Amino acid sequence: MAPFAIETEKLGRIYKIRGNKKERKIRKELVALADVDLQIQQGELFGLLGPNGAGKTTLIKILTTLLAPTSGRALVSGYDVAEAPQLVRPLINMVSGGESSGYGLLTVRENLWMFSQFYGLPSKEANQRIVELLHQVGLADRIHTKSSDLSTGLRQKMNIVRGFLTDPRVLFLDEPTLGLDVSASRDVRKFIRGWLDADKSRTLLLTTHYMVEAEELCDRVAIINQGRVLACDSPEVLKRRLQRDAIFVIETSPLNGLSAPKLEALHEVRKATVTEKEGGALLNLILVEESALAAVINILTQKDIKVMHLTKREPTLEDVFVDLVGRSMAEMEQSE
Amino acid sequence: MTALQHISTNRRWVEGWRSFKMAAWLGWQIESNWADPLLFFIYSVVKPLASTAILVVMYGIITNSNFSDPLFPYIYLGNAFYMYVGAVMGGVSWAVIDDREHYKTLKYLYVAPIRIPAYLLGRGVARFLTGSLSVLITVLAGVLFLKIPINPLQANWPLFLLSLLIGVVMLAMMGLLLGSVTLLLVHHSWGIAEGLAGALYLFSGAIFPLDVLPAWLRPVGFLMPITYWLELLRRSLVGDIAQAFPTLVGFSNLELLAILIGLTLIFGCISVFVFRWCDHQARERGTIDMTSHY
Amino acid sequence: MNSPVPRGQINVLAEPVSNKATGWRLFVKTVIARAYPRIIGQQREKSWMFFDIFLPMMAVSAYVFVYRAIGAPEDYVGFVVMGGAMTAFWLNVLWGMSSQLYWEKENGNLALYIIAPNQLMAILLGMALGGMVATALRAVVIILLGTLLFNVQFVVISFFQLLAVFLLAMVALYGMGMMTSSLFLLLSREAWHISSLAQEPIYLASGFYFPIKSFPYWVAATASIIPLTLGLDAMRQLVFPTGATLGFLSVGIEIGILLVLCVVFLTGARVLLAHMEKLAIREGRLTESRR
Repeated sequence: MAPFAIETEKLGRIYKIRGNKKERKIRKELVALADVDLQIQQGELFGLLGPNGAGKTTLIKILTTLLAPTSGRALVSGYDVAEAPQLVRPLINMVSGGESSGYGLLTVRENLWMFSQFYGLPSKEANQRIVELLHQVGLADRIHTKSSDLSTGLRQKMNIVRGFLTDPRVLFLDEPTLGLDVSASRDVRKFIRGWLDADKSRTLLLTTHYMVEAEELCDRVAIINQGRVLACDSPEVLKRRLQRDAIFVIETSPLNGLSAPKLEALHEVRKATVTEKEGGALLNLILVEESALAAVINILTQKDIKVMHLTKREPTLEDVFVDLVGRSMAEMEQSE
Repeated sequence: MTALQHISTNRRWVEGWRSFKMAAWLGWQIESNWADPLLFFIYSVVKPLASTAILVVMYGIITNSNFSDPLFPYIYLGNAFYMYVGAVMGGVSWAVIDDREHYKTLKYLYVAPIRIPAYLLGRGVARFLTGSLSVLITVLAGVLFLKIPINPLQANWPLFLLSLLIGVVMLAMMGLLLGSVTLLLVHHSWGIAEGLAGALYLFSGAIFPLDVLPAWLRPVGFLMPITYWLELLRRSLVGDIAQAFPTLVGFSNLELLAILIGLTLIFGCISVFVFRWCDHQARERGTIDMTSHY
Repeated sequence: MNSPVPRGQINVLAEPVSNKATGWRLFVKTVIARAYPRIIGQQREKSWMFFDIFLPMMAVSAYVFVYRAIGAPEDYVGFVVMGGAMTAFWLNVLWGMSSQLYWEKENGNLALYIIAPNQLMAILLGMALGGMVATALRAVVIILLGTLLFNVQFVVISFFQLLAVFLLAMVALYGMGMMTSSLFLLLSREAWHISSLAQEPIYLASGFYFPIKSFPYWVAATASIIPLTLGLDAMRQLVFPTGATLGFLSVGIEIGILLVLCVVFLTGARVLLAHMEKLAIREGRLTESRR
C-alpha cells in the first residue's frame, strides 16, 4: 500500500501563453506552480487555500491527470499521474465549483446514472446510491427534473453528488461550495466530513478561498500563493504561529492620510491592513506585543483620528495568510 | 408625432445602428481569427470550389464535358451565387446559437440597451464578406478554367450590383426569420441555415431551371425571391444565355426587379413579425439562456 | 416540484461500491451510457426530424433534378439517392462524433470523461451509436422516399455481400472518425472549421453523387482511403443494373480493402487517441476554452 494518498515532489507547471494577433510571435511563460512538495495521508481532509490565480486548480488538474507537470512528479495512491494515469483514474473523482457539466435535456437522475456508468457501477446499485446521496444533499425532490431547469446552486449540488457517487478513494473538490447558499454550504460541509469519517481509507483534497471553510473542515491546510506553498500544517498550528502576536481590530474615524504602509513603519506594528468604509476605516493590526497597543492609540490620537471601537481577537487563517504574503486575500484579488 | 415619440424613434435608430456596427465588428473578430491567414484562405478557397466541383463533375460525366452548352453557365453561376444563401442566412441565424450556447452572452445582450434584430443582422456581415470571397473565387475559377462566358465589358454592372444588394438584404431578412425561430430551438439547430439552404436549392432554380420540377412543385419556386434574384444576376453577367431558358423569359429585368423588391419587403415584414413573436415566446419559455447540447 | 423519492436501503457513507466493472464490461457500459443522452435527447426534442430528415431529402432531390436536367440515365438518380442516404453517416461521424469533443470540452464534460477510468473510444462510439437512430432513420427515409418519388429501381445482386459492404464501411468509417476526433483533443475553435472544411471535399472525392470511376485512376485510388468511397462504389455495383460497368474495382477487391481499412483505422484510432490525449495533457489543452 502506498505510504501517502497524495504525494508531490518539486512539482512545477509552466504555461506558455500565446499573445493576441499583434503579439502572436511573443510567447510568454506563466509559472503556475513551482517546487510544490506535499504529502497527504490517507484519511486526511486536506485544504489548499489561496487567492485566485494561486495555482490551486492547476495542482488539482495535475493530480487528476488532466494536466502534465513540467517538472517534478505527483503520485496519487502510489501511482504516478503522468506515467500511469490509467491506474489513477479508477480511484479518483473531481468536483469543480461553477461546473456546467452533464446534459440539460437529461434529468438529475439520468445525468448521475450516466456518469456512474463511466466508472463501471452496477446500474441498480448506482440508482440506489443516487437516491440516497440526493437525500443527503437535499435534492431528492428534484430527481426527475431536467438539469437545465435547475438553478446554479442546485446544479452544483447535483455535481457534488456526482463526485461522491462513485465512491472514490481520493476525491478532489475544487471550490465545491461556489454558488451554494449559506445553509446549503453548511450541509455540504457536514456531509463531506461525515463521508470522510465513515471510511478512513478515503482522502479528500479541497481547494477554497473561504478561510472559514478551511478552518472548519480541514485536518491540514496548505497556503499557496503564486504557485508556491508558503506553509502547510493544521489550522491550529498555523494560527499558533501568530499566538504570540496581539491582533486587534480598531474601528476609527477617517484616517486623514494614514495608510497601512505608514502604520507598518511603526516598530510596534508587525502587519496592518486598512479597509476604508463610509465615515471611517477598519484597521486590522498584528502588533509585536499587547502593550504596543497604547503606542498605536497614541499615534492615532495625535493625528486626530478617533477610535470608535476596539476588539482583541484570536488569529485566523486570514491573519496567517496576511502574515505570510503581506496582504489579505481580498486586497490581492482587488489589485488584479 | 410628439416630441417624446420623436426622441424615442431617433433613439431606436441610434441604438439600432450602434448594435449593427458593434455586431459586425464582433462577427468579423470571431470569423477571422480562428486560424492564420493562410489556413483561412485555404478554407475560403477549398470549401466553395469543392462544392462547385461536385456539380462540374456530375455535369462533365453526363455531357462529356460539354461546357459550352448554355446549361453549364446557368448551373455554374447559379451555384456560385447561391453560396450567399447559406452564408448570409447562416451568419445571422448562427449568431443565436453561438451567443446562447457557446459564448453564453445572449442573456447579457438582451439586458443591454441594444436592438437584437440589428445585432443579429450585424453578426451576418462577416459571413457575407467571407461568402463574397467564396463567390468571387468560384466565379473567377469558372471564367478562367471552365470558359464561363462573362465578358466584363458586356456585363450589365448596374443591374448586377443593384440585384446583389437587394438580394443580400433579402437573405438577411430570411436569416433574421431563421434566427428568430432558432431562439426557440435546441443546439442541434445549428444546421438550420445550412439545411434550409440545401432545401431551397430545390426550389430556387439555382442549379436547374424550374421547368424540370414537376408542375405541382413549381409554384413554390415562383414564391421564392431567390429564384428571381439568381435570374437577375445571371442576366446581368451572361445576358443572352440566361434568357435562353423559358422559365422567366416572359419577365423583363425591371419586372424581375420589382418582384424581387416586393418579395423582399414581404419577407422583411414576415421576419419582423416572426421575430417579435419568437422573442416573446423565448422570454416566456426562458430559452434565452438555455444550453441544450446532448 | 416532483414528489420525493423514497430513500434506498444503502448507506452511501459506509458501504463501498460492489463489483465495479472493468475491461470490456466497462467499455460496453460506457458506450451505452454515452449513447443514452443522444437517444433520450432525440425523444424529448423532436425538431431534429425536420432538420435531419425533411430538409436533407430536399437537398438530395435537388441533385436528382440536376441529373434530370442534363439528361442523365436513370441509374444516376439512384446513385444520388444512395449517396444522399450515406451522407447521413458521414455527417454523423463528422458532427455527431469527431467535433463533439469540442462541445464536450466547452461544457466541461471532456475533463470528466478523461478522469474516469473508461476509454475515450467508448465515449466516441457511444456518441456515434446514440446518433445512429436519427442517422439510420434519415438514410432509410431518403432511400424510401427517393425510391417512391423518383422511381428508383434497385436490383439486389447479393444481399450478404451488400450487408458485408455496408457493415465494413461503417466500422472503417467510424474508426476513421475516432482517429480524426483525437485531433479535437488538441484543437479548439479551429476544429469546428476543419470539420466544416472536410464536408464538401469528401462528398466530391468519395463520389457521393457520381461514380468515382470518372476520376483518373490515382485520384480514385487515393480517395479510396475514405471508407465510404469504396463502400458506396461496391453498394452501387450490387444494387443497380449498370453498377458493375461503372464500378471502380470489383466488389470482392473492395470488400478486401474495406476489411484492411477497418483494421487500420480501429488500430489507428486506439493509438492516436492515446497519443493525442497524452499530448493534450502535456500542453494543457483538455480544459482550455479558446472560443
